[in-house]
Amino acid sequence: MNIFCPNRSRGFLLGYFPKVTSPLRIGITARGLLLLLLSVGMSFGASAQDTENLILISAGTFTMGSDTRAADEKPMHKVYLDAYYISKYEVTNAEYYEFWKQQSETVPPGQMPQYTPENFTHLPQIGDWPARVKQFPNHPVVGVSWHDANAYAAWKGMRLPTEAEWEKAARGYTNRTWPWGNALEPYANTAAKDDGYENRLAPVGSFPKGKSYYGVMDMAGNVWEWTADWYGDVYYWHSSQAATKRPKQNPTGPAVGSWRVLRGGSWIDTIARCSTTFRFYLYPNLKTSFVGFRLAKTAF
Amino acid sequence: MRNGLTIVIIFFLCLPLSGITGEESGDHSAYVQHVEQAFILMFQGDNLRAISEFEAALAIEPDHYEVLHYLGMAQAQEEFWNKATENYQRSLALMPDNIEALYSLGVAYFRLDQWIDAVPSLRRVIVLSPQHARGYEMLGKSLVKLRRYAEAVPTLTKALTLSPHGAGLYYELGTAHLNLKAYPEAIENFKLAIAHGPTGYAEPHHGLGTAYFRSGDREKSRAEMQIYQQLQKEFAEYERLTRLTRAEPNNLEAWTELATLLMNQKNFARAIPVFQKCIELAPNNAHFYHGLSRSFMGLNYPKHAAEAARKAVQLMPNQAILHNTLGSTYAMQGESQKAINAFRKAVELDSEEPYYHLNLSRIYQGMGNQKLAQEHHRIYEYLLSKQK
Repeated sequence: MNIFCPNRSRGFLLGYFPKVTSPLRIGITARGLLLLLLSVGMSFGASAQDTENLILISAGTFTMGSDTRAADEKPMHKVYLDAYYISKYEVTNAEYYEFWKQQSETVPPGQMPQYTPENFTHLPQIGDWPARVKQFPNHPVVGVSWHDANAYAAWKGMRLPTEAEWEKAARGYTNRTWPWGNALEPYANTAAKDDGYENRLAPVGSFPKGKSYYGVMDMAGNVWEWTADWYGDVYYWHSSQAATKRPKQNPTGPAVGSWRVLRGGSWIDTIARCSTTFRFYLYPNLKTSFVGFRLAKTAF
Repeated sequence: MRNGLTIVIIFFLCLPLSGITGEESGDHSAYVQHVEQAFILMFQGDNLRAISEFEAALAIEPDHYEVLHYLGMAQAQEEFWNKATENYQRSLALMPDNIEALYSLGVAYFRLDQWIDAVPSLRRVIVLSPQHARGYEMLGKSLVKLRRYAEAVPTLTKALTLSPHGAGLYYELGTAHLNLKAYPEAIENFKLAIAHGPTGYAEPHHGLGTAYFRSGDREKSRAEMQIYQQLQKEFAEYERLTRLTRAEPNNLEAWTELATLLMNQKNFARAIPVFQKCIELAPNNAHFYHGLSRSFMGLNYPKHAAEAARKAVQLMPNQAILHNTLGSTYAMQGESQKAINAFRKAVELDSEEPYYHLNLSRIYQGMGNQKLAQEHHRIYEYLLSKQK
């Protein structure tokens, strides 16, 4: 079972998420058995298969921001980023459950661990935690705060993408308005009624046509994604005012703030808010049904 | 039978516990529901209902600094500055050094003309966040209001180095220099305010006129004052209509004039309640729904815009422009096929209007149908040249 990939999980059992490579792919050899055992043993860490779902974004400059949209997206300017990995999909319920389950073992029985996602009893299409893991294993995990997302990322030996990393992964080198291009298409789960997921979340990877230039999925709609950066309304303007003529290198946002930046729009938003440049912000302790996250990692 | 008895015993043993936790989780669940609903309403621009939802959430769980701040922000959107101030203070009592809540509190005091109270909050903002452009801006404005011009100049100058949105800042800086009798600096900053400001920005012309007058250039002063008076006339008309509608709340003509004036000024936020009042007085007038729809569009609330446009179309199904507006609202929501149908209907009803073809061309272009996009663009250009 590959819990990163949608529509591939079979025989799901709550509390059991073997993150092992299929024996058929390894081959039943002594080495294969050893690898299998090792991978079972490593089920709470990053497995070999994880890298399959990380997309390498090569080093280089890209265009950040927009001259024609909201004030906080201005101006359009060049930014240089070192090579990095970004996860192809948002973190799912099933993936987050592994982390949560391990956390559960460290707290007294009957107590919920610190990083427990919020329950959405009033939204049965999203549901309560952990029951919803069984029902919707491949839905992006929601009801997680920025702190939860950060803790999960650290547990995986990764981190949240910076705002610049997120934007580059979404728009590519061609300055796309939406990850798939500039045409208005129903390639994302938004508040519109023609996307097949009205008033509910979609499993990750449900919109293959909506992938970005780099092949990253779900960067528009479904859930807003926490990024590492604090929000600053004039951050793009500062980012464009590099002291030298060279583009800003690996910017990490303002040094302080109250709100963390979210990107990508969600199932409750209009398509306009799901563009590759639209910037949103929330208090980092908020846990809502329309916010999830994905992971990133410096490449070298 | 035995199994049944066991179940009953277990049920009764668990009852007190489940009763307590059920109640607690039920309350929290209601809290979550209210907060979620409030956010959705805020996204849709329905601040009044969002306020009720935030209040309901806080009635269940009162100690959420972030929800108190959001409640204040929603109240500020509706210009309920006293209530907003109260909630910002409650939020800050729970989280004292919260930069954005301190900034919000400073703004609320400023809007209440309590400039002296605004200063400490805003000073704290720039201590905590030395790059906070809005913090410097509001502090500078407060100092100008308090006539502490010498302090205002460096504060506003710092704000200008941090912020690209300069028109208002240049105006305030011009005012500070004017009062410090530094006329060349005042003139320079008022000119920059006009250059960077929106059309119809009257105040810097008055400042410039005054600065020219005090520095002895009467001719230039007179010219600037004339521009200022012209711009003020438009403002006076707005004031007149506002007073009239207040005195005669059922005067439909006055409401209509006010709505037209606001639309000409692209002041969509103020136009919405005016159109809603027009609809209340004349519920079967499609043009008011149309105006309401255009206002929502101007504020990027396509869902509400579509709702109003649909109503307008229902009332006057043979008006091409209403179908065109409906199409635009669909296009904004990414509902391409519905947009095409509406634009086509507009063309069917009035094939001589070039902009209906332009809209069709754009939506086809967006869908990758180059052939139809080009075809409609050609018709658009032809009709436009014919009109000229």
